[in-house]
Amino acid sequence: MPEFHPGNWAESAVDWLQTHLSWLFDAINTVLTGLYDGINMILSSVEPLLLAGIFAVIAFWLRGLLAGVVAFGGFVLIDSFGLWDDAMSTLSLVLAAAVITIFFAVPIGILAARKKAVSAAVRPVLDVMQTMPAFVYLIPGVIFFSVGTTPGLLATIIFAMPPGVRMTELGIRQVDSELVEAADAFGTGPRQTLTRVQFPLALPTVMAGINQVIMLALSMVVIAGLAGAPGLGERIYAAVTQVQIGLGVEAGIAVVILAIYLDRMTGALSMRVSPLGRRAAARTAAMMGRMRFVRYRPSTVAALAGVLALALAAGGLSLAESGSSAPSAGGTDVGKGKQLKMGYIPWDEAIATSYLWKEALEQRGYRPQLKQLDPGPLYTSLAQGETDFQTDAWLPTTHQQYWDKYGSELEKLGSWYGPTSLELTVPSYVKGVRSLADLKGRGKEFDGKIIGIESSAGEMKILKDKVLKAYGLEGEYKVVSSGTSSMLAELKRSIQQKQPVVVTLWSPHWAYDKYELTKLKDPKGAFGKGEKLYNVARKGFAQDDPVVARWLKNFHLTEQQLTSLETAIQDASKGREQQAAAKWLNARPGFLDKMVPVPGGEKKRGKDAGKSVSMAYFPWDEAVATTYLWENILEDRGYKPKVEQLDPGPLFTAMAQGRIDFQTDAWLPTTHEQYWRKYRDRLTDVGSWYGPTSLELSVPSYVKGVDSLADLKGRGKEFDGKIIGIESSAGEMKILKDKVLKAYGLEGEYQVVSSSTSSMLSAVDRAVARKKPVLATTWTPHWVYSTYPMKKLKDPKGAWGKGDHIHVTARKGFKEDFPELYGWLKDFTMSEQDLGSLEAAVQKGGKGKGKEKKSARKWLDAHPGLEDELAPVE
Amino acid sequence: MSRLRAEHLYKVFGRRADEAVARLRAGADREELRGEGTVAAVIDASFEVAEGQVFVVMGLSGSGKSTLLRMLNGLLVPTSGRVLFDSEDLTALGPRELRGLRSHRISMVFQHFALFPHRSVLENAAYGLRVQGVPGEELEQRATEALRLAGLQGWEHAWPDELSGGMQQRVGLARALATDADLLLMDESFSALDPLIRRDMQDQLLQLQQSLHKTIVFITHDLNEAMRVGDRIAMMRDGRIVQIGTAEDILLRPATEYVASFTQDVDRSRVLTAGAIMREADGGAAPPDGSPPSAVVPAVTVETPLAQLFTPFSTSEHPLTVTDGSGTPVGVVDRERLLAALAEEPRVEPPPAEEDGNGVSADA
Repeated sequence: MPEFHPGNWAESAVDWLQTHLSWLFDAINTVLTGLYDGINMILSSVEPLLLAGIFAVIAFWLRGLLAGVVAFGGFVLIDSFGLWDDAMSTLSLVLAAAVITIFFAVPIGILAARKKAVSAAVRPVLDVMQTMPAFVYLIPGVIFFSVGTTPGLLATIIFAMPPGVRMTELGIRQVDSELVEAADAFGTGPRQTLTRVQFPLALPTVMAGINQVIMLALSMVVIAGLAGAPGLGERIYAAVTQVQIGLGVEAGIAVVILAIYLDRMTGALSMRVSPLGRRAAARTAAMMGRMRFVRYRPSTVAALAGVLALALAAGGLSLAESGSSAPSAGGTDVGKGKQLKMGYIPWDEAIATSYLWKEALEQRGYRPQLKQLDPGPLYTSLAQGETDFQTDAWLPTTHQQYWDKYGSELEKLGSWYGPTSLELTVPSYVKGVRSLADLKGRGKEFDGKIIGIESSAGEMKILKDKVLKAYGLEGEYKVVSSGTSSMLAELKRSIQQKQPVVVTLWSPHWAYDKYELTKLKDPKGAFGKGEKLYNVARKGFAQDDPVVARWLKNFHLTEQQLTSLETAIQDASKGREQQAAAKWLNARPGFLDKMVPVPGGEKKRGKDAGKSVSMAYFPWDEAVATTYLWENILEDRGYKPKVEQLDPGPLFTAMAQGRIDFQTDAWLPTTHEQYWRKYRDRLTDVGSWYGPTSLELSVPSYVKGVDSLADLKGRGKEFDGKIIGIESSAGEMKILKDKVLKAYGLEGEYQVVSSSTSSMLSAVDRAVARKKPVLATTWTPHWVYSTYPMKKLKDPKGAWGKGDHIHVTARKGFKEDFPELYGWLKDFTMSEQDLGSLEAAVQKGGKGKGKEKKSARKWLDAHPGLEDELAPVE
Repeated sequence: MSRLRAEHLYKVFGRRADEAVARLRAGADREELRGEGTVAAVIDASFEVAEGQVFVVMGLSGSGKSTLLRMLNGLLVPTSGRVLFDSEDLTALGPRELRGLRSHRISMVFQHFALFPHRSVLENAAYGLRVQGVPGEELEQRATEALRLAGLQGWEHAWPDELSGGMQQRVGLARALATDADLLLMDESFSALDPLIRRDMQDQLLQLQQSLHKTIVFITHDLNEAMRVGDRIAMMRDGRIVQIGTAEDILLRPATEYVASFTQDVDRSRVLTAGAIMREADGGAAPPDGSPPSAVVPAVTVETPLAQLFTPFSTSEHPLTVTDGSGTPVGVVDRERLLAALAEEPRVEPPPAEEDGNGVSADA
């Protein structure tokens, strides 16, 4: 039988779509999340009790007094569970999904009812939508849209669409054909037949379809918690995977309350909306007679007024509240409210450390958000940059498949625990079983079963492929795949009943802390070597947030620390994990400061702390970069640096007059020769920190066959005969025109266009973006080389002359006044790479309002230890 | 003068309808076509309806009478043939013009009333006017008037589901009358009603017709009803019109055995009139025994149904003088003739051998 795998095509189709239709996915993403965010913003901004009141008024209006009271009670119950925000998220998801579903389903249903071809085409699609297991597209949804709202909403829409379409089609088809004919016989046009006859008569059925849409949406939204959709689903998923039965039940009850409310309200709404429904209601009301007051319902106007009054009250309240909330800022506020997105898989050490980090980061002024995800979606979202970091990557084995797939998009931020071990474990009361070898021949005792975990887990594969074979247990024992939570439940049950059981477990695990267990020895080493647990971040995280990245890199836990943390969190459970982590931290004074040290918190003051130093720079990139770098360093050392920007002439003059203490960017002996010669008696040359520099012409690397200045000859046309120059006053321009062009015989062919450094750079940017040839006047060091693929043209004749060195120069007497600083600057050096990245960071950070200083600070923070190197203090 | 004229109408459902029509013209059988999956619902139907006439199409279910009716207002497009309404060819009209025609000039009453359950009685009666775009006040006024004509005064704000079947059909009738259409198509409109109510409705229709003089095409499967309301009757069988004529023509001179078999259950005494069975008076209008004519024997008119002749015959052996509308004697009826007419099995008269063979010219 030849094998046939359409799944492979699907996989490559997914790849293709991902690369070619990203704009579409972005658009879908924007619409879906926008709608959800909008609804959620409204629902979550209202006080729970007021919103419950609004819901109650709606129920009163639609179904009567009793329904209103019960609805109020139900929603208050949800609030008392502490699940209000989750419930509102879920409700927002349901409403957003329902709105979009109805928007598409009703017109499609109408079309299908009118055109047989549409009906025939739509039917199989609906079948697929309805029966295809949601996980199949829920998880790929993560690939396109990353975790969170969108894939969940999309899966919900797909799942909820069919009844909407089908019931609309059915409703319209069900309308008595004689009525349609009657409309036709009186000359009604097709559109009016639809609006006057078919749709009003189909409305009860359509509304039943909408009711189904909403109910299915609710059930799917809960499942979508798997893909990180917020709300009750997320809670339930977390609860179930962490064996928190109580939380699971509460969240489940909340879902049921929502479901009943939505069902009854949409059902009653159909009575209000459709003419036939109103007619039926009027008839029953007429028959009720004396019992009418039970069924009393406020008029639409009265109900609307009630809802409005409550909404206004809510609006007033939330306004009043927003005025009074001001974040407290302390010396430890490193994050300044910066958001961090953390993901974790529902494994105990992941939960424990994630909550530990959440607590620690909050104490440092960050606003971390936690999201529980399955490994697949978690790694996908990390690779897409949707999640910033996670703490529980088991490498090299367990998470190998994810690492192979996404490793290039991820950054390892150090291992914080290891080595782990995989093992089979029995309760200690099972006597005589100490090693895997002891299991042989005792299969009956254990019912021939080894309780496994998820079949997808690496440990299961090793167990089946290697361990059982190594110890000859294959025939005797069967590995039962289930889930970690079921395995733990089975272990707990067996221990309570003192029955023998053998489970698949690993270290570290809180079970060892909680129960008396025996890890079975593995003398043959069949389980292989242990792994390490890594913090893994999205690519570029360390650059964006060097402080947190450094904290993560330096993080370590011992087995005792980890298991005690796990147990603390395990015992707390029920949504109080973070409090447990906080308690655990409080019990360990000093741990927090070691884990997340405040940068510069251990500031060492220099000898001349308190003195003010004035620095100046002219707007050359390396000058800007190094000046602000030193400003930061000096501040840390207790100096009071002042920085101003001047042109080279005035700067050297001011320094000669003693108004400026030092500057970092004197190009000697050539470029700034004129100033140096003029003022050298009144200046101090502190020393060179970079060199040699070089001047050059450069072209983009895609311009082939031009590697040296000599190659330019005869190719003038290609470059339009132009060399893009910089300011005409620059020394480089003079050398270029006077020497370089002559030396290589380029005079007639090329014309040097004087402009400015910034226009030269934008010309390069434009040319590179369009892959056009360009010939630019550049120099080293410059960030243009780290930003664009430019190659320097060789100068075999040495026409540019020798390079300069960049010096720090200071006023006369600087050495005597600032001996410590003089020493630092004298020893100051930077590599081309460091300088390039510093320049690029400053360049990227933007100009003005202290942005340069901030960028330099960030760069400095990302280079731990550099400050002590540049400005050592005892 | 004819208001409505159907010329050689064919309606074939199924594939290759045109081909089927050609074959039918060439003499193919309906059953033959059915075997190939095409259904010939109406075959070569031609007739004319004069202004103010009630034209009944009578046939059993499946005879194609409803299909025929729906071709008259364009709900179905004939496969072949033309429908002329006031000399305008309906089959040549576009959908928009056709809709205009249906909303203003042709209205229809349905077998199962086809009332809109989500609209009140008044709204139902006003439906055609609303489609026409008649403004609110006039619309209400005209709909109310139509309801009054149909005998439903005071029920304007009731709902269709609160009415009995007969009353519902009155709403249907009012809806058709409200638009002031000249041509009224009634599709087995009274068939779903109880016999007593049906009779009421027939009377109501005849009464209305006396004042309104609509041109009416009336479909029924009940020959008694056909004879009661119809000025002229077309008998349909298997898609073809087998005979067209007055009630008496059908009863006394059935064109086929099929028509004759139909007439068996008809109460002849109520359908046949004195004019239909009278003979020439022998030797003038004087009774044979010389007694004074008008004094002894009361005269009857041509229109008098036979049922009303029993009473005079029960007291007198003499023939009755039959007079026309103005009182001039035109013939006599004697006992033997009356009894013969009632007892008689109708003789089947082959239709006159005209080229279309459908009896159109028979009553022209």
